[in-house]
Amino acid sequence: MGRLSRILHLEWDGDTRDAFSDSHARFQAGRMGMWLFLITLGILFASTIFAFVVVRLQPDPATGWRPTDEPGIPGILLISTAVLLASSWTLTRASAAIVGDQRRQGRQWIERSLILGSLFLVLQAVGWIDMWRAGVYIDSSLYGWTFYVLTGLHAVHVLGGLIPMGVVAARARRGTYSRLSHSGLTYCSMYWHFLAGVWIVLYLTLWLGSM
Amino acid sequence: MTSPNQHQQSAAKPEPTRALADRLCDWVVTVDHKKLGIMYVAAGIIFFVVAGLEGAAMRAQLAKPGNDLIDPATFNQLFTMHGTTMVFLVGMPILLGMGNYLIPLMVGARDMAFPRLNAFGFWLFIFGAVLLYFSYIGATGLYGTAAAPDVGWFAYAPLTSRTFSRGNATEYWVLGIMVSGFGSITTAINLITTSLCMRCPGMTLMRMPLMVWMMLVVGVLVITALPVLTASQVMLLFDRQLGAHFFDTEAAGSAVLWQHLFWFFGHPEVYILVLPAFGFVSEIIPVFSRKVIFGYPLMVAATVAIGFISLGVWAHHMFAVGLGPELNAFFAASTFLISVPTGIKVFNWMGTMVGGRIRFDSPMLFCTGFVAMFVLGGLTGVMLAVVPFDWQLSDSYFVVAHFHYVLFGGVLLAIFGGIHFWFPKAFGKMLNERLGKATFWFLFIGFNLTFGPMHVMGILGMPRRVYTFPPDRGLDLWNLISSLGVLVQCAGVLCFVWNVILSLRKGKPAGDDPWDAWTLEWATTSPPPEWNFDRIPVATSRRPLWDQKHPEDPDWKYE
Repeated sequence: MGRLSRILHLEWDGDTRDAFSDSHARFQAGRMGMWLFLITLGILFASTIFAFVVVRLQPDPATGWRPTDEPGIPGILLISTAVLLASSWTLTRASAAIVGDQRRQGRQWIERSLILGSLFLVLQAVGWIDMWRAGVYIDSSLYGWTFYVLTGLHAVHVLGGLIPMGVVAARARRGTYSRLSHSGLTYCSMYWHFLAGVWIVLYLTLWLGSM
Repeated sequence: MTSPNQHQQSAAKPEPTRALADRLCDWVVTVDHKKLGIMYVAAGIIFFVVAGLEGAAMRAQLAKPGNDLIDPATFNQLFTMHGTTMVFLVGMPILLGMGNYLIPLMVGARDMAFPRLNAFGFWLFIFGAVLLYFSYIGATGLYGTAAAPDVGWFAYAPLTSRTFSRGNATEYWVLGIMVSGFGSITTAINLITTSLCMRCPGMTLMRMPLMVWMMLVVGVLVITALPVLTASQVMLLFDRQLGAHFFDTEAAGSAVLWQHLFWFFGHPEVYILVLPAFGFVSEIIPVFSRKVIFGYPLMVAATVAIGFISLGVWAHHMFAVGLGPELNAFFAASTFLISVPTGIKVFNWMGTMVGGRIRFDSPMLFCTGFVAMFVLGGLTGVMLAVVPFDWQLSDSYFVVAHFHYVLFGGVLLAIFGGIHFWFPKAFGKMLNERLGKATFWFLFIGFNLTFGPMHVMGILGMPRRVYTFPPDRGLDLWNLISSLGVLVQCAGVLCFVWNVILSLRKGKPAGDDPWDAWTLEWATTSPPPEWNFDRIPVATSRRPLWDQKHPEDPDWKYE
């Protein structure tokens, strides 16, 4: 075997040397790995929120938490919240369709989720532009800083989720997923629902914090 | 189990005609947990030598009062890089690497659950390490010259703010640690999933080797603690690069917040380092005492308890901040509490040795040394948990002595014990016993010479992280002894390196099971084939290999 092909075949083929006894065992391990990954991310977000709460509880006595000339959390975030929740819902529809052996519908629901997910990012960007135009900069106040960091941290993870979702959509188009074998879609959905949950917590935190 | 001959054929070495580039490529593209494990340990040992030399340079500077061998700025870089390297580039990779190598073998699996993720994690670690060390030539420091990070390994705010740390050396510290931290997280996910999902038939949770239990808890601690460090490092990066004021108290940020976040990672990190060491010792002591481990269920319970409690003790690093009596009392109490499960372990190791037919081969020597030194480090830890005592000695050499007894006398001796124990498995060659014993005695004596006097120096009032000290304060002799001890330690490390080179070239063939041990890694060949086991083994008790070797008196009869 040439060197290049060895580089390309990083994984064992499914022969007697496979580390898993069957595909179900592989799926179970994959799901556990995904849960652990989500816990890790959850702690990342939790410690960021914790830090937010700490600085929020001791605002600058001179200016208060939110300087009077800076606007509250942009209203467009409400729309983006709805869009993200909708994308989470379409993804559950996709799983249901694949499990029900309706591959075409499944593919369509995944593509809808992809579009809604991208739309969410566009709406977040509009929100940032609004804030920026209103004179809220990352170094102008801790209020601005926390707004950009908390929403930005989440947006980066959404962006990172769109890539595997694009792969899942491409695979669904090729008809890779069936009633019995669709672990990629499951992992992708787990991550996506997690991000939706995190966003609700983040949004409530920012909204309560801005008051 | 299959016959040894069959293994030997399947594990045949690559023929010598293969080009070097081809063989190197094998290592670069490998997803084999054993090769990755060996690379982790090898990289860790290289960084151990580097960080050891940084430590030696500091001791050379402190050998006599008023010395001007090293200027203060360089000294700051040395202690920062020494600490950072020892924790993130020596302790973590060696311990997680040995877990990587051993866990699949111990649970009777063919590889980790996610082999490619495993390789990804390793290369992230290497990348982070190179990034950190690149700062020596690439980063700009205070005077625009090349400079390593110099903010101490816990990088307290506001020292890390742009005002006090000019240049970009601190960015190298942040990014290097963050990237290698991502690698540790992937390894932790792999370790947990492997030990929970990939155990061979018959290996119930309560039959897992204690090492596997400890690595499982370590994995949980890594995924709980490291993201907190990552989050706080992201905030620090924003502060420095985008002019935010998160840790800037003057702009209504909070400098103490950094301490909380850092130590919420930092103290579990101590247990991330020490629990694998406990695991090695819990595997080695029974084998060389020819007895089963004393109190297995209690050991498991103590490990899990340590995992939980270690998440609630972090502010004992912050008694001097002035958190108020309630918080101080809480963290003092939780710190006392964690010494209980730790003490249980010490008694269980001793209970295993009592009445055993102890063989003092080099792995056992290291482990016995570990138990003694770790107890000393633990006791000074309990002393420092007493708040007024801590106020007196915080940031003095007493603290330095304490954590070196835990991390060197504890973790490092156990690592050396583990390497001497499992080297025959990994390479099929025995280490030289005489050189192994010499390594132990040089390290043990040198270690005590270097770090023992630091207790006294601390009580006499010598602060840590100061590049020199005045004469005639009663510190001269202690510092001199401490510095001379480094030479003895160097002799130990040289013995070890020479031993490895010598044994790799012409060591005695080890055979599958040189120590007459009991866990499954000894049931396959040395070195194991790429797929570990020709046939997946079956665990019949906590000592599956004992059951195979002693069908007349198997363990499962007593379970």
